Amino acid sequence: MSTNPKEPVNRRNFLGAAARVAAMTGVGALLGKLAGATAAKGTVWQIDPAKCVRCGKCATACVLEQSAVKCVHAYAVCGYCELCTGYFGPEPNELTTAAENQLCPTAAIQRTYIEDPYYQYHIDEKLCIGCAKCVDGCNRYGNGSLFLQVRHDRCVNCNECAIARVCAGDAFVRVPVDQPYLLKTKPTTS
Amino acid sequence: MKIPLPQDPLGRREFLRGGVRYGLLVGLAAMAARAVSGKRLVNQDCTSQGICRGCPDYTDCELPQALSARQAPPISDTGAYEEVCRIAGGKMPSRSLAIGPEDRLYLATGNAVLVLNQAGVREQEWTLDAPVCCVTVAPDGTVFAGLRNRILHLDSNGNRLADWQVPGNRTWLTGLAADANDLFAADAGNRVILRLDRAGQCIGRIGEKNAERDVPGFIVPSPYFSVMIHPDGLLRVNNPGRHRVEAYTLDGDFEGAWGKASGAVDGFCGCCNPIRVVPLPDGRMITCEKGLPRVKIYSATGEFESVVAGTNAFPENARVGAGERDADAALAGLTAAVDSRGRIAILDHVTGAVRILQPKAGGKA
Amino acid sequence: MFRRLLHLLFGLLLLSATALAEQRFPPPDFESGYQLPTPTTPAPRAGLMQYADVVVLLSALALALWLVYRTRSRRGITALSLFSLAYFGFYRKGCVCAIGSVQNVALALCDSHYALPVTVLIFFLAPLTVALFAGRAFCAAVCPQGAIQDLVLIKPLKVPAWLETPLGLIPYLFLGAGVCFAATGSGFLICRYDPLVPFFRFNGSELMIGLGVAFLLAGLFVGRPYCRFLCPYGALLRLATLAAKWRVRVTPDTCTQCALCQHSCPFGAMREPTGMQKREPLKTSRLRLATFLLLLPVLVGLGAWGGSQLATPASKFNRTVKLAGRYVRSLTTPDRFPMELQRVEANPGPVLAKAEEIRQQFLLGATLFGGWVGLVFGVKFISLCLRRNRTDFEPDPGTCFACARCFETCPSERIRRGWIPAELETARSKE
Repeated sequence: MSTNPKEPVNRRNFLGAAARVAAMTGVGALLGKLAGATAAKGTVWQIDPAKCVRCGKCATACVLEQSAVKCVHAYAVCGYCELCTGYFGPEPNELTTAAENQLCPTAAIQRTYIEDPYYQYHIDEKLCIGCAKCVDGCNRYGNGSLFLQVRHDRCVNCNECAIARVCAGDAFVRVPVDQPYLLKTKPTTS
Repeated sequence: MKIPLPQDPLGRREFLRGGVRYGLLVGLAAMAARAVSGKRLVNQDCTSQGICRGCPDYTDCELPQALSARQAPPISDTGAYEEVCRIAGGKMPSRSLAIGPEDRLYLATGNAVLVLNQAGVREQEWTLDAPVCCVTVAPDGTVFAGLRNRILHLDSNGNRLADWQVPGNRTWLTGLAADANDLFAADAGNRVILRLDRAGQCIGRIGEKNAERDVPGFIVPSPYFSVMIHPDGLLRVNNPGRHRVEAYTLDGDFEGAWGKASGAVDGFCGCCNPIRVVPLPDGRMITCEKGLPRVKIYSATGEFESVVAGTNAFPENARVGAGERDADAALAGLTAAVDSRGRIAILDHVTGAVRILQPKAGGKA
Repeated sequence: MFRRLLHLLFGLLLLSATALAEQRFPPPDFESGYQLPTPTTPAPRAGLMQYADVVVLLSALALALWLVYRTRSRRGITALSLFSLAYFGFYRKGCVCAIGSVQNVALALCDSHYALPVTVLIFFLAPLTVALFAGRAFCAAVCPQGAIQDLVLIKPLKVPAWLETPLGLIPYLFLGAGVCFAATGSGFLICRYDPLVPFFRFNGSELMIGLGVAFLLAGLFVGRPYCRFLCPYGALLRLATLAAKWRVRVTPDTCTQCALCQHSCPFGAMREPTGMQKREPLKTSRLRLATFLLLLPVLVGLGAWGGSQLATPASKFNRTVKLAGRYVRSLTTPDRFPMELQRVEANPGPVLAKAEEIRQQFLLGATLFGGWVGLVFGVKFISLCLRRNRTDFEPDPGTCFACARCFETCPSERIRRGWIPAELETARSKE
């Protein structure tokens, strides 16, 4: 084989060049077709709280040892109730922080007294496993201020989210990376 | 002997020339494909997706299919009442119900007040300029409609008699009650009952926390707060955060309360119930609850008597209230009203349907 | 366009939230001066850093090309693959990678609601473009999956041709299946069944960890089993190298036909000079070629028919189709896990219609996939009949990972590097 860059035009070189031209045309066509379908910013996974059915699979289906999904508290939506149905199990013995009264399996919700009769509920993310038990309690009877979100300090942003694949409510959506949370806000209607 | 690299990688000039050539090729192909493939994304609004979050922008949209697909079972599983009629309201979201002269139904739905005759036929539709949150009918037949922070006084044909702005930036009216002289407005945002005269002047604030008068204060975590005038002449107000119904004089003296938090049928479950209390002519009281949507009757002194309609009568309401539907959970709720014949009308805020219940013959009603 | 897409993705929830922020139901009026905390929102890593990934990818590709074609240094390639393994593998947890990007591109082409991140498009195109001109330099030292296998290879065994040829077709089939599933929105098979990513994440399902261990164990003795016998992106690159302008060449001078390079290649990529092969008579070859050329459309047709038969069972892997099926069954027999069914029960129409639409897509997709399988087999048969003339030992550009192992075994290269005095070698060859 010659080391001279000006190779003679033989069948092989010609076919090679034709294939390259065809392939580059293909690449160009692909680019053009996708031009309107690209997002410069990229996307991340997030849970649409309006679609979440609290099936509990977030706690187990994530590829991470401890799920990237955690409970988030929208304080502005919270009623600060003394009897919090996201904190207390059904029919609590008394409204105290005793473990047997709590709904959370890992005691990840901290209840602090503010003033009569209001209590603040705070999620300790280190303990939260994303099981959605509190979310269910809060949504079923309360204001729905507790909800699940993908925490992006933990999420590795898999190409195909393993939780999205099994999500019972089909609540996982790709959101733009610069607005990565779907936080709940206060109810708009009266 | 110096042996060169096996393949002389292209010289800079040839590399650049090739780069430009192939770059042009790619660019041309891309433009051609772009031109051929055309537009891709279609604009979607919430109704075409079957999603309604009850936003004010969409107050008048037709009921999403998702919420109207299933017919609720008739109310017949309780001893005292049976369902005799069901009126499809049809608009989303419906928020309040009142019964006026000749047992007409006044339905606050979307931006309008619907007037239905006792057979459920729509007689009038008064379109107002904002979502209607609550409605009541005064003994003289005129109608008060509460918008978020305004009260409209309408005559029986919907003509506007007055338009009062209620001061306060947290104002969020959710309930109205009128007697011959006064209008009482439940302001869920400020956690207070306002007493207004017929000129729209605020002549009293009832139920604000006040240790001297022994008034405990209302706890209203969500916009479910109502006031009613009991036949005994006192006001009955639901205090959802304390799971009880409280009685006040018209001047704002706290007279007593009943109700307890409990998952059992005789108590109020969840964090904040009842959401509404409606007195019957004989002094007993109807309570409406959310979470587990149900309607119950308590005696005048607050003893539990019976369930009028249980959770299974409002399946969609329960699911929306629990956030299991693509609709704002704060839309869920029930409103009851009593007509002159002792029949109970229950408005399901989610489906917009009104269920008319009458006491069963021979039942303990 | 981006803004509209953004809104679409975001839904109306936030739209109405921003527009009506002052109209919210007020929280309790605290007398103690308590201030409402706001929930924390840690920023995703993907923001700026995704562009860092692209920069690293492009630099690594350029470096790999330079190492393969200019310095011809195996040591440099090893060092670069160690870096790629550390960065793309263990630091970036193997996501997003060029292998998986095939599916994103397929999905973006078929689903108008999916927006393809530009970075993913670059991850897809950059190695492919490089392969179009200069072979699989990506596989050599940039791909973390390739790197981890290359590094565990200690005692390469030769895979016999009768086994290697059919196994080498699997990547094409996997590519077809992966594209078919991605295009119908049924999931990313290629990501799901990537056996090496669990190592990068130190976590995964039992099945995938087991598979990964199996691949790495096999990789001790068989060079890069995943790359050669499974990797769908590798199949794409292999096709691209058909057009490659520059090819890896072992000897810098004349080939001494010593076959040392062939022995050094753990991936069976070296092709011996045609003079050293046993060949059947030209007439037989031509006859066979003609037969397979005629057979090609038959194979494609057969494949397409077979594929269309697979459409219905394959469509059941789609979540919507599965859900619709469960809903229909639940009408007669109650379902054990009704939570998933709730959203169908509320409004079965759209879900059933969507399922039917996906079934139709699967019919097309599976037919195309079947045709693709037929085509792959047919072309393989044909390529086996083609007679090529080689005077030297040359790597097959499609199979060669450009790992640079062979260079240092070539006597001519050793002379070039001055490892053997040229005179000695010339004298030896004259004997």
